Amino acid sequence: MLEARTAYSIQYWLESCPQGYLKGTEYGHDRGATEPALVLENPILRDEAIGTTVQLVVGERAALAASSGLINAAPDAASKTFLATQTLDEARHVEIFTQRLFDLGVKHDELESTIARHANPHLVRFAEILLEKVDKKDFVAGVVGQNIVLEGLAFSTFEMMQTANRDTNPKFARTLSGTIADERRHVGFGENRIGSLIREQPEKKPEIERMQKDMAYHMLATFADRFRGQAAALQEARRVAQQQANPAGTAARSHVWHGTDLSNADPREMEAVLAETVLKEFKTRLARIGLEYQSPERP
Amino acid sequence: MNEPVRTSADFDPAEGAGEPGNTASAPRRRFVLADDTGFDEVPAKYRRFYRRWQGPADELEPNEVLCPVCKVVIRSARELRPGDRVYCMPCMSRLEVVRGASGRLEAIVRY
Amino acid sequence: MALDAGELHTREHAGFLAEVHSFEFWFQSVEGYLHGRPHGISPDTPTLELAPARREALVATLSTYCVGEVAALEGASGMIGFAPNRQCKIFLATQAVDEARHLEVLLHRLAELGVEDAEARFETRSNRHLLAFRDTLLRHVAAKDWLASVFAQNVILESMEFAAFQSHMRTADPRTAEMLGGILKDERRHMGFGENDLGRYLARQPEARQRLREIKQALDPLVLATFEESMTQLALPASERPELGRLYLESVARLGIGS
Repeated sequence: MLEARTAYSIQYWLESCPQGYLKGTEYGHDRGATEPALVLENPILRDEAIGTTVQLVVGERAALAASSGLINAAPDAASKTFLATQTLDEARHVEIFTQRLFDLGVKHDELESTIARHANPHLVRFAEILLEKVDKKDFVAGVVGQNIVLEGLAFSTFEMMQTANRDTNPKFARTLSGTIADERRHVGFGENRIGSLIREQPEKKPEIERMQKDMAYHMLATFADRFRGQAAALQEARRVAQQQANPAGTAARSHVWHGTDLSNADPREMEAVLAETVLKEFKTRLARIGLEYQSPERP
Repeated sequence: MNEPVRTSADFDPAEGAGEPGNTASAPRRRFVLADDTGFDEVPAKYRRFYRRWQGPADELEPNEVLCPVCKVVIRSARELRPGDRVYCMPCMSRLEVVRGASGRLEAIVRY
Repeated sequence: MALDAGELHTREHAGFLAEVHSFEFWFQSVEGYLHGRPHGISPDTPTLELAPARREALVATLSTYCVGEVAALEGASGMIGFAPNRQCKIFLATQAVDEARHLEVLLHRLAELGVEDAEARFETRSNRHLLAFRDTLLRHVAAKDWLASVFAQNVILESMEFAAFQSHMRTADPRTAEMLGGILKDERRHMGFGENDLGRYLARQPEARQRLREIKQALDPLVLATFEESMTQLALPASERPELGRLYLESVARLGIGS
């Protein structure tokens, strides 16, 4: 078993990440890869892609602020070191998703206004709840909020997106595969590092569980807004993808994720499978570290 | 006169820059930059534009100037002249080439 | 997007800055000198047996360096939250990993020297002036004071470290020298970021120079004393010691805040 000290080290991160799965890539994807013409030339699809990518940028900006803000509060060198690698992972995610916005045609001087226009207010509130803990230098709450809740959300969302984009947008799918690999490490740190600290500070449990409940509510509300508002875009994407892959009109290839075929599911089904998957993971991980999962209100 | 076709190894900085008013200056000499100077601190494709400074005894070529911020030698594919702009990637500085008090070319930072 | 290499010096400044502050640039840069060097040292680099007094001096000096690196790690990461723009945030994230790597390789070298409790005791072994500097730096960061933080960390601390490590390398054993060489390559970026960021700030707000002079006055003695003491421990010739401050003094002179 990989010793914790080694697993959290810069050396391990260098060998896994920049010298490993990022080798030869540019902004997380193969050099020279471009967004598919069917996205760039179709206003509905392009707008949807921009809207989705903005949420990713918002989430990663929060993750960057949180992981960097927790370094000073970390109790030992190994945790500080790991959080430094996580900080750089999150910075990289901010960079590659911002670059995707530019690749989708967002002008540099319109970046902030585009983000402001599309950012989901529930996702913004989700981030604020987390950053309140970070600002107070609350290491345990901060790591649960960041590495279990936020990263757990990111992990499942990226997996789902990667499955959905595998054939139609290999550039984006490749970008996501690198971020998924990063999130695995982040979630692993959250689980492995925090369990012992929670046992030492049981009085913190109610406060952390409340934070989890609030964050989960805003997460579900974000999903609801995104999926329920994107029915037209989803329909258009499927029509175009089908035409492109199969002009004769037979059924497109299936993309099954956690038992749901993403090529055919309606927005509510997709929202449900994502929400269910994320919440189930929360429950499992929180239990492993000695916290009781709190069911959020449903938006 | 036909200029030979330049490859990217020959291409160089600040086309059109030079000492003000010096419209009659001779054409700039061109230099081929060897890919490997042993300088390994920037992405591979930029390494030929930099080399390590060997100290005060290091005689710089006409296409070289020393970065005052980080003491790396910056190289160009053509002869440098006062007024030229160069970038030092190791320390991320923008610099302008000037004639120093010693008569030699130096670089000053342009923030 | 990345520059075409053939047009490096003709690029407009904003595009150049966007590239050099990016993860992509950092990633491709460090690959050149970190690949094949676990913990910053090639496996083939020989181990020199050090005399007890020399080993003890080296342990004390490396312990002092550890304090500096933790200060810079906490400083750089703390600054991300109030950095003025995305590019600065991303650059500081790369600096945070650099500093964490420096701490890691220093602790690794201390372990190679037989120090078993390096992490637990580096603070007690280190120079008290640097501990005082660290406390001041982290107060600036906690106060979200960008100007003071960048100046203290990226101009004062990083340029002093650069000069000190460069001097130390000349007399160090092969493994320590190689480790320090890798650290120096990172410090160039950190120093450059500090001087250029402050330079641009002062071009817009020249009246800020007075404040920087005050900060300089408070911090200069601490850092100079730290490295003087380290160089004495390492028996660096007196003729080399003025070099310690020279790089830093040249930088503040360019910024117009020298005394």
